Amino acid sequence: MQNTTPRTAGRLRIGIDVGGTFTDFVMADTQTGKVTLYKEPSTPDDPSRALIAGLEKFLQREDMSPADVGGLMHGTTIGLNAIIQRKGARIGLVVTKGFRDILEIARCRMPSSFDLHADKEVPLVPRSHVIEIDARFDDDGKLTRNPGAEELDRVAKALAALDIDAAALMLVNGYTDPQAEGRIADALSDQLPDLSISSAALIWPEIREYERALVACLNAYIQPLMGSYFTRLTAGLERIGVDAPLLVTASNGGSLSVTSAVDRPVETILSGPASGVMAAVRQASQSGMQDIITFDMGGTSSDMAVATDGTAGMATRTDIGGLPLALPVVDVNAIGAGGGSIIWADAQGVLKVGPQSAGAHPGPVSYGRGGTEPAVTDCYIACGFINPASFGGGSMPLDGPAAGAALESVANRIGMRGSDTAARIAEGALSVASAGMAGSLFRTMAERGLDPRNFVLLPFGGAGPTHANLLAEEIGIERILVPQAAGAYCAMGAAGADLRRDFVRSLRVELTEDSAAAAETAFETLQKDGNAWLDAELPDISERRAERSADMRYAGQAYELRVEIEAKANLATYAEAFHVEHERIYGFRDSAAMIEIGTIRLAMIGAGQPLSTSAPSVTGDPTQDSRDIYVNGAWREAAVYNRAGLAVGAKLEGPAIVEQPETTTVILPGWGARVDPHGNLIIERTPA
Amino acid sequence: MTRLDPVLLEILGNKFASVTEEMCLTLQRTGRTLYVKETADFACALAGADGRFFAYPRSIGVSGFVGLECLPSIEAVIALQGALEPGDVILTNDPYRSTGLATHLPDLHMIEPYFHNGEIIAYGWCFVHCSDVGGRVASSISPLNTEIFQEGLRIPPVKLIRKGQMSNEVRLFLDANSRTPEANMGDINAMLASLATGRKRVAQMLGQHDPQELSSAQGALMDYAAGKAEAVLRSIPEGKYSFSDYLDDDAASRLPVRVAVTIEIADGKIHLDFTGTDPQVATAMNIPSCGRPHAWLTLRMLALVLTLDPSAPLNAGLLRPLSINAPLGSLVNPEEPAATGVRHAAAIRVNDILNGAFALALPDVMPAAASGTVIPIVVSEPNATGGRTVQVVEPLIGGTGARKGHDGVDGRDSGISNLANNPVETVEAELGVEVLHYGLRPDSGGAGEWRGGCGMELSFRILTEGSNVLARGMERLLFRPWGQSGGQPGKPGSLVINEGHPREHRLGKIDVLEVSAGDVVTFRTPGAGGWGNPFERAPEAVLADIEAGFVTPECARRDYGLVLCNGVFDAEATAALREAASPKSATVFGPERDAWDSIFAPGLMDQLNAGLLALPLSRRQSQRREILETVLADLPSSFPRSPANDTQRKTAIHRLETWLSSL
Repeated sequence: MQNTTPRTAGRLRIGIDVGGTFTDFVMADTQTGKVTLYKEPSTPDDPSRALIAGLEKFLQREDMSPADVGGLMHGTTIGLNAIIQRKGARIGLVVTKGFRDILEIARCRMPSSFDLHADKEVPLVPRSHVIEIDARFDDDGKLTRNPGAEELDRVAKALAALDIDAAALMLVNGYTDPQAEGRIADALSDQLPDLSISSAALIWPEIREYERALVACLNAYIQPLMGSYFTRLTAGLERIGVDAPLLVTASNGGSLSVTSAVDRPVETILSGPASGVMAAVRQASQSGMQDIITFDMGGTSSDMAVATDGTAGMATRTDIGGLPLALPVVDVNAIGAGGGSIIWADAQGVLKVGPQSAGAHPGPVSYGRGGTEPAVTDCYIACGFINPASFGGGSMPLDGPAAGAALESVANRIGMRGSDTAARIAEGALSVASAGMAGSLFRTMAERGLDPRNFVLLPFGGAGPTHANLLAEEIGIERILVPQAAGAYCAMGAAGADLRRDFVRSLRVELTEDSAAAAETAFETLQKDGNAWLDAELPDISERRAERSADMRYAGQAYELRVEIEAKANLATYAEAFHVEHERIYGFRDSAAMIEIGTIRLAMIGAGQPLSTSAPSVTGDPTQDSRDIYVNGAWREAAVYNRAGLAVGAKLEGPAIVEQPETTTVILPGWGARVDPHGNLIIERTPA
Repeated sequence: MTRLDPVLLEILGNKFASVTEEMCLTLQRTGRTLYVKETADFACALAGADGRFFAYPRSIGVSGFVGLECLPSIEAVIALQGALEPGDVILTNDPYRSTGLATHLPDLHMIEPYFHNGEIIAYGWCFVHCSDVGGRVASSISPLNTEIFQEGLRIPPVKLIRKGQMSNEVRLFLDANSRTPEANMGDINAMLASLATGRKRVAQMLGQHDPQELSSAQGALMDYAAGKAEAVLRSIPEGKYSFSDYLDDDAASRLPVRVAVTIEIADGKIHLDFTGTDPQVATAMNIPSCGRPHAWLTLRMLALVLTLDPSAPLNAGLLRPLSINAPLGSLVNPEEPAATGVRHAAAIRVNDILNGAFALALPDVMPAAASGTVIPIVVSEPNATGGRTVQVVEPLIGGTGARKGHDGVDGRDSGISNLANNPVETVEAELGVEVLHYGLRPDSGGAGEWRGGCGMELSFRILTEGSNVLARGMERLLFRPWGQSGGQPGKPGSLVINEGHPREHRLGKIDVLEVSAGDVVTFRTPGAGGWGNPFERAPEAVLADIEAGFVTPECARRDYGLVLCNGVFDAEATAALREAASPKSATVFGPERDAWDSIFAPGLMDQLNAGLLALPLSRRQSQRREILETVLADLPSSFPRSPANDTQRKTAIHRLETWLSSL
């Protein structure tokens, strides 16, 4: 089919993020630089339905055909939800004899020291489904207990007797020889052709038996679900005629092919938040900002992440529904209240925000879905920050008077009297929420030795742009960047994602001429694995690179530092890289001390096409209206702007409100804003 | 004025607490020793003019020290070295000279005054358990120390930093009295960095809020916490509740050590009276409370308040409704120069008796006894460079007690410290040991309608000739973690070398044990107590425990009256067995404690300790030993593991009573 305007097939890249309430779509036209958004109500029973239906409608709305789609990038929380709700597959775990309780004991810690009623997390595999095998390695990689045919037979029979969908295998010291552990897994599989048995060492050969076993268990736990989901999804795409490659976003901020994602779904668990952060990093870099704090405020909570020098911070220990995940993930930290967090007063009459949340159901009082306790969103209404009539682009009008009445009853409970109590208590509650978020944010920065006041705040999520200025004021941040697509940012991140996979190997050797050479050989093997993986994912990928690092320490130290290692390193370069990092963090180097290399890490990255957003063409008059907002204990008149009508270079003076269908941006008195060449809204403190 | 706007109070409470956590994170980031990096044996807080903590971290560092007091140390310094000035930092580690701020010598405590316009607006405080402060043994702690002088350098409260400059004199003494002076200085620098973080962040708050507001918030936050604690106390039935328990021994003799408390709750107030507790011991288990409502004596009360009202802010106000009587010269208020290095072993038992006493008032809220032991199992082996490698294999703990409606937690216990374990693979990479079994101990959890948490088992083979095994803090090998409301006690702990082999050797507590290559060492920690009559446990719950392997079929039959027939649940036989069982005669304490109490009854022990405390300090220990040994002489040598017969009991009680009348 020929259209009147010339088109290039495959010019569109579409990012999709499946959330609990909405499935967000971002369409980036690589020809024009135009970015458009679309939201479709999610279908939690089968998320692929909303995805296919939404994609079809979106293409129609934008007058594009399925053939225009050149790439689909997709993040999903199916795996995460299954883990948190413990609704994954029935799985078994095979472990070295003597370690049946590995999941029960975990790392021995209780979630709270003070709560006499605290309980531990529910193990992913019940103890009755953990089977011991007489097999293990020593720490030098020697298979000191080699299971014979009889033992393998016994274990296979025990597995067969369990009613399970998948199984994992973890042998003590298996990280020293992943291939050998893999062969034992294969030997078991040979007897059980219908059961997939994943070797922990093959998936993630890092020292620490509990964490490694958990990686394998998590993988097995969500594999059947994810597999059938992607089968349905690819069938659906085929049905509507989209044959572009489908990539799945990963927790490390990159993406994987569907084949990889079905093999190793554990790598995709935290992809949603990671994509949002990656989008933020790219967007800010484009505008020349390298050090940013992202602020993602949604319905139930708000999250932050930090990027320095244009690189998002990574973590190798994250909490997933009470379980630690050892894979490298973009380091996202929960910092407090979301739009649904409940405002209440305790028995002593002190005002509290959260931790309970009204969520999306029943939601804040103003949603009119049966919520009776006021939430943070109700405070935005009471203060005039958001217009109840135009919430969600007018698709979901809110009940402002009900929000006010609910807030007044809390005001009453803390003994607040006089006029404007709803607005006053709302402002107080927003200050409590901001102080709580700022506290968590300061702690996260203190952990890294960073001063947040040198950073740019980059808000996204439905409430991020609404609350960002309040938070910036509380922290002492001077500049805020509100991207155009703030309301569908995880989808935006997906659209621009690189391909990326992490590889590790635990060496645990003293650093010598020989071991440095051995580490290089190990790096080369990882690099080879990485290249082979990239070739299989997308053979024609133009730009590829490997990022190498090693966990190192002085012999006898109780902790390791992660050090970047350049290519073709030798003894001297390893040592110097470590000394320099140690000096940077602890202020001294010990040139005489022996250095040890623990785990080496390699991230293989295939760069996606840079997604340069251009400023949107202006539609309509920017100034819609004005309304009073309640700030610093008084009502102030604020101009209300339509974001779509703001041209590049437009300048606004606070107090002001900028509205767009997915979110509302608040600019406080004493602050001003301008639209930068990429269409971002840059909010800065007005010089006094 | 302490009444503050309820919005501002919440905001400032959050901010101050956040500052203390930032201080901790700075300390953890810049610290370098094991205690800082791995076990998080440190804390930071903010104190007001009264030297009490008005803000304390909730999620990082040692949780129990919220009740410590800085003022005596501050006053001691001012008296000798003059007023505090900006840039001064106080250092101390001496429990006696700091009036209980420090609780054993390896804990270095620092206090820095934070100034605003020439006035002190708050104090920053932090402490770190440092690697070594000299003394008789490496790492400075041994249960066998008899005086604090053997435990290392005593640092009375002193200005380490004067107007920003470190005192060379103090530093010279510090360096000369440690086996690890550089590591200590690294910790000191990390502490100074954390105090500087606190100073900067308090200054930042001063830029955002009125100084007067910040000062009155300190009092208001304490009032707020006190109000929360009082509200919780009012929800507890008023009355007097007494409870006692024993440490198996004092590490130097076979004589058990008694801790006792009477709690009185009335009108939103609580009084803890430790009368009846044994005189201080000649080993290092004494708790230097200086007679104050010390952190180690009040932790369980804080936990109770925070369990019943998790929204309560963590600060010293929580302790305001509390008063205390800890008799001078007793285990819980020793006289100088008693050694205090391993006071945590006694503190765990103090936690237990407070738990037990509270349970008399709140049987449906409080759990049964937790396993009550934390054993850092250490292996020391010769290394290639001619020295020795010393490394913790695992800090071995047990489980938590059951409570109404909930089984205890298996293999975890946050009671007094919430340490993470070591991955077996890192242990094997660093030591010549092969871990054969690291798991839960079936049948160890006390039976009950709700089952106590299982203890743990760690079994490892020694691969290097000339190795030693160290295991401080072994406890509950004799007296079991008690059950509650009819629940049974957990199984006691044990230590066996080469179990099941001709060279099998069963041991009690050890200090340093020499082992050979090839030896297999097996530690078992106690299970925790159960709650309620085990014969009323739902059969499905027992069956689930059997399926999971936490309970064996034999134990299910004996302790729960549950019958399996060819591996299948037999409802009829179970009902019959449960019906036929006479009401349980066993108490919740277990046979050893019952045997002990049959002679050393609580009333007699109260009398004995009153009499001993009336003697001069130098006489108490020897007199106690003489009395107990002569009474025990009439009893079986394995008493109280094997009970006394009637004749023996009568003779022994008679002897004890004779002694008591002569005291």
